[in-house]
Amino acid sequence: MSNIVDYTIEPQLVEGNLSRREIDELISTPLNTKPTKGYYIGLSITLTMLLMGVIGVGLSFYYGVGMWGNNNPVGWGFPIVNFVFWVGIGHAGTLISAILFLLRQRWRNGIARFAEGMTIFAVMTAGLFPLIHVGRPWLAGYLFPYPNQHSLWPNFNSPLLWDVFAVSTYFTVSFIFWYVGLIPDFAILRDRTKSKIKKTIYSITSLGWRNSNRHWQHYEMVYLVLAGFATPLVLSVHTIVSFDFAVAILPGWHSTIFPPYFVAGAVFSGFAMVQNVLVIIRKIFHYEHIITLDTLEKMNKVIILTGSMVGYAYLMEFFIAWYSGNPIEQFTFVNRAFGPYAWAYWIMVSCNVIFPQLFWFKKIRRSIPIMFVIAVFVNVGMWFERYVITVSSLANDYLPSSWGYFTPTLTDLAILIGSFGFFFTFVLLFAKTMPVVSMVEVKSITSGAQPSHGDH
Amino acid sequence: MKEKILYSYSALFDSPDKIIHAANVVQEKGYKKYDIHTPYPIHGMDSTMKLGTSKMAYVALVFGLLGTFGSLFMMYWMGSIDYPVIVGGKPFFSFPAYVPIMFELTVLSAAVMTVVSMLFVFFKLPNLSHPLHDTEYMKSVTADKYGVTIEVSDEQYDEEEISKLYAELGAIKTFHIYYDNEEISTKHIAMQPKFLGFLLFIFIFVAGSTYFTLNKFMFMQPYNWMREQSKLTAQEGSTFFADGFGMRMPVKGTVARGTMPYLFKGKPELAATTLHNPLLPTKMNLELGRKKFNIYCSPCHGYFAKGKSRLHGQFPNPPSLHSVKVRNWPDGRIYAVIMDGQNVMPSYASQLDYNERWAVILYIRTLQRSLNAKESDLK
Amino acid sequence: MSISSNIGYEKKGIPASFYKVGISLFVVGLVIVVFGYFSNPVRSAFNNVVLLMLLVSVGVGSLFLIAVEYLAGAVWSTPFRRIFEFLASTVLILPLVFIPIYFNMHNIFHWMHQTEVVKDTVLSSKSGYLNQPFFLIRWVIYYVIWSAFYFLFTGNSKKQDNTGDQSYTRKNVRIAAAFIPIFALTISFAAIDMIMSLEPHWFSTIFGVYYFSGTVLTALSAGTFLVVYLSKKGYLFNGINQDHYYSFGALLFAFINFWAYIAFSQYLLIWYGNLPEETSWYLHRWHGTWIYFSIFLLIVHFLIPYAFLLSQPAKMNPKRLN
Repeated sequence: MSNIVDYTIEPQLVEGNLSRREIDELISTPLNTKPTKGYYIGLSITLTMLLMGVIGVGLSFYYGVGMWGNNNPVGWGFPIVNFVFWVGIGHAGTLISAILFLLRQRWRNGIARFAEGMTIFAVMTAGLFPLIHVGRPWLAGYLFPYPNQHSLWPNFNSPLLWDVFAVSTYFTVSFIFWYVGLIPDFAILRDRTKSKIKKTIYSITSLGWRNSNRHWQHYEMVYLVLAGFATPLVLSVHTIVSFDFAVAILPGWHSTIFPPYFVAGAVFSGFAMVQNVLVIIRKIFHYEHIITLDTLEKMNKVIILTGSMVGYAYLMEFFIAWYSGNPIEQFTFVNRAFGPYAWAYWIMVSCNVIFPQLFWFKKIRRSIPIMFVIAVFVNVGMWFERYVITVSSLANDYLPSSWGYFTPTLTDLAILIGSFGFFFTFVLLFAKTMPVVSMVEVKSITSGAQPSHGDH
Repeated sequence: MKEKILYSYSALFDSPDKIIHAANVVQEKGYKKYDIHTPYPIHGMDSTMKLGTSKMAYVALVFGLLGTFGSLFMMYWMGSIDYPVIVGGKPFFSFPAYVPIMFELTVLSAAVMTVVSMLFVFFKLPNLSHPLHDTEYMKSVTADKYGVTIEVSDEQYDEEEISKLYAELGAIKTFHIYYDNEEISTKHIAMQPKFLGFLLFIFIFVAGSTYFTLNKFMFMQPYNWMREQSKLTAQEGSTFFADGFGMRMPVKGTVARGTMPYLFKGKPELAATTLHNPLLPTKMNLELGRKKFNIYCSPCHGYFAKGKSRLHGQFPNPPSLHSVKVRNWPDGRIYAVIMDGQNVMPSYASQLDYNERWAVILYIRTLQRSLNAKESDLK
Repeated sequence: MSISSNIGYEKKGIPASFYKVGISLFVVGLVIVVFGYFSNPVRSAFNNVVLLMLLVSVGVGSLFLIAVEYLAGAVWSTPFRRIFEFLASTVLILPLVFIPIYFNMHNIFHWMHQTEVVKDTVLSSKSGYLNQPFFLIRWVIYYVIWSAFYFLFTGNSKKQDNTGDQSYTRKNVRIAAAFIPIFALTISFAAIDMIMSLEPHWFSTIFGVYYFSGTVLTALSAGTFLVVYLSKKGYLFNGINQDHYYSFGALLFAFINFWAYIAFSQYLLIWYGNLPEETSWYLHRWHGTWIYFSIFLLIVHFLIPYAFLLSQPAKMNPKRLN
């Protein structure tokens, strides 16, 4: 691939001159072959991590929330940090699949299905945390406004309840969007498979889809409508998550820039995670022609864009804290950088602001090992950002007499590791049971796929 | 052997240009009951088939607005009418706080209902028994070929003409597609036994699991730990006590609130010498005494304690309280009469509480003084 | 051989009436401004601030849109690049608009009064940033940066017109990449300087983003208006079709939503926290005659454009876009 970009021709979206049948073949192969040894090793690692999480959660239910490091004044610890982290990761998927669709960036077609799947699993993982951190998750039904025997309704003024609605809506709509995209692919699999059981399953899940153009017409409109709804939805979900913090009057939390800052941060960490997983998937399943290096490079550009937005937010918060003249506000920010949590703060700044700036260089953007490492750093940095925001503001708030230090316990760490296990287990299972690339969408962008005359 | 019923005559093409051309020709020729099948949406096919824009967007708009206003009304009703609770000093109808949920429910309602209506209403899916399923035509179309299907039920259907047409258009293969006799059903999908059985199963499963969860599961360990606590609640049994009762009688000597124990039962002379009126003859106390006297004492003693009362003739008359004997009684002696009763008069301890009794005694004294006033009182 | 003849585009001359109307409007405007300053300098100065920020929006916002087009490698917008470059030239006249403000600075900005600043702890803590010399230096810097980028972008663009060499586009892409962060910082601080400091006790971390959202919307709508108007009159390249209009419509719709989102989130957080030092800003704008402006803003800046642009065909309709 030459380094000089000729702007008169559009780059090829699907390389290697794959025919449409070959695409079907390539993408449905993992579903029909037995898992490799590498797959089993991967799955056993993720299942072990998941098991650690299960033990952590079990202990937490049995002995109570005291197993965690939450104390007074730091009443919100790992669970909320993990929740915000995982919801953020989910956003990249919807952005790739909905927003890039609206922007008519067709390079998304190869990665959209996978990204949406990751969104769903990330939101599921995120949803575990509010559930366990209420202590008695079986009473979670009271969060929804249904007529109950106490005649009580949930408190609509609380951002925590807005979260309930936002995350449930996000999960439902993402799932529907993902499923609607899967219907034609299930039809393809139904018609290709030789196994009777699989045929029954695919027939049911494809709902009897017939590829009729009278259906495609409505299908495309609904897809557009869903993408149009999913876009503001994804922005609103992390905005509402940011409201959890920003509506409080704690210094360091009550900052009007939180909504766009959190959304940018979510896209940032989400893209990093998606990029990491895609790098692995394309290697294992030989999808290099579909998930091209160009695609990965474009993702890295998004990473640097959103990383810069996050850096801008840091700067603006710091400046306005000084500008406000409010000594408590000023103390909070100085304390973050030089107080007891300075170690977390500097990890956050170096991983979020410094390392991603390397993506200005084209060589680095197109180098798989380096981009993988930078993306890992981004994920680490974004986790620490949530940690710094939550814990440092709670630990050192208005009254020095209420200050206290937060130390995570082993149970906290076990649950965090378990959440990664939960997520990656689902990703691995997904990769082996469903087509991770949308066959229909990729076929529609191969060369010669659309009629040569016509308005486009 | 039942004769197979023909559904349609279909053809396959191998390039998007050919299928657009084919669709154009079929549409121009006036066929109405035809369809085009492609592996992915082809640009320009909608206008070629003269399909117009899909109405799905309007469905989304309607349901979206329903979500917006429905959620607004819900929160308004719950927060301002049904159970208003002051939260954080904000008004009952705090509109800015409602906006996030209104937005979420708009999106949820629009997305879910649009997809549901698309699948179930517009497409009439799931439909697992369409004649095109499991045909080579279908398998090619989902892979990489493009197809035209003209149904037999079309008015212009003519075997030969269509055959010629397909040949002209350059079809690579043609098919006659038949109904699968087993799958033909005249009943609507909602009435078919399989579907009804499925609904029944769902119903039993949901009802059963809800019942089990809410009535049995939530009472099992560990979910019942907070419900069942060591402290004793009313009417609960207890193994701590020999008789198994959690509720116990009060111990000897327990005194009810607002009472003073009366230690002189059957000993009026002792009461006379020991008890003294704790109340001062203030206007308030005298008013209280008058009120209570008129309620409880006047039926027998009369309003002026003279003994002539409205029960005159129906009940034995009490003696007048203005006699020398009673006037000379100390307050404690009258208290003993109220507490114990005397002769026909029962105890009035339960009708008058401690303060009320002493107030009545003050009033009786007032009455007595009023009928036996001394010269010095007039000054 | 220049490119324009390759694509069959004939540059149409502007009719003489345009010049006449333009110059007479300019003269009339100038007279009104001068009169305004003589009768009530303070109010005129405040209005001047509004005008300055509007022009900053149009000019710098257009530069931003040009930069984004280069970075995204967007090909659809090339026919309109000149329109946006023209709008960007607004940055060159900014100093002219700034001059009346300079002469009336003391009447507008509380923090310029040294006596008040010394008495007020909050103002004195900000005086490291909010002081007259630094303020002026900053505005000089903004102007220099913005003009520099204007000349860089348009210079390369004109040269490419003449030679057809694609390396100019690549250069512009690099310049665009450098411009974006600089733009983010300068536009935020310009908004803080000129607007937020009008109420120096108030602060909001999202203010820069808020102004940015308005900026992009202003530049985009100005550009859209010009494109639709000029192409109807036949001044632009013939190949402009529904797809282009749709892109404009969709972008406008998206940024209207973005503006509303930023405005609302700032409002909600300040409303919810209920801290007097922050709510004062909103209370001012909800009392007296300002309430009418606030409601007008909500309706005209959000509700009406939202309803107009919601449907897909509306986004493509040039009449609706105008």
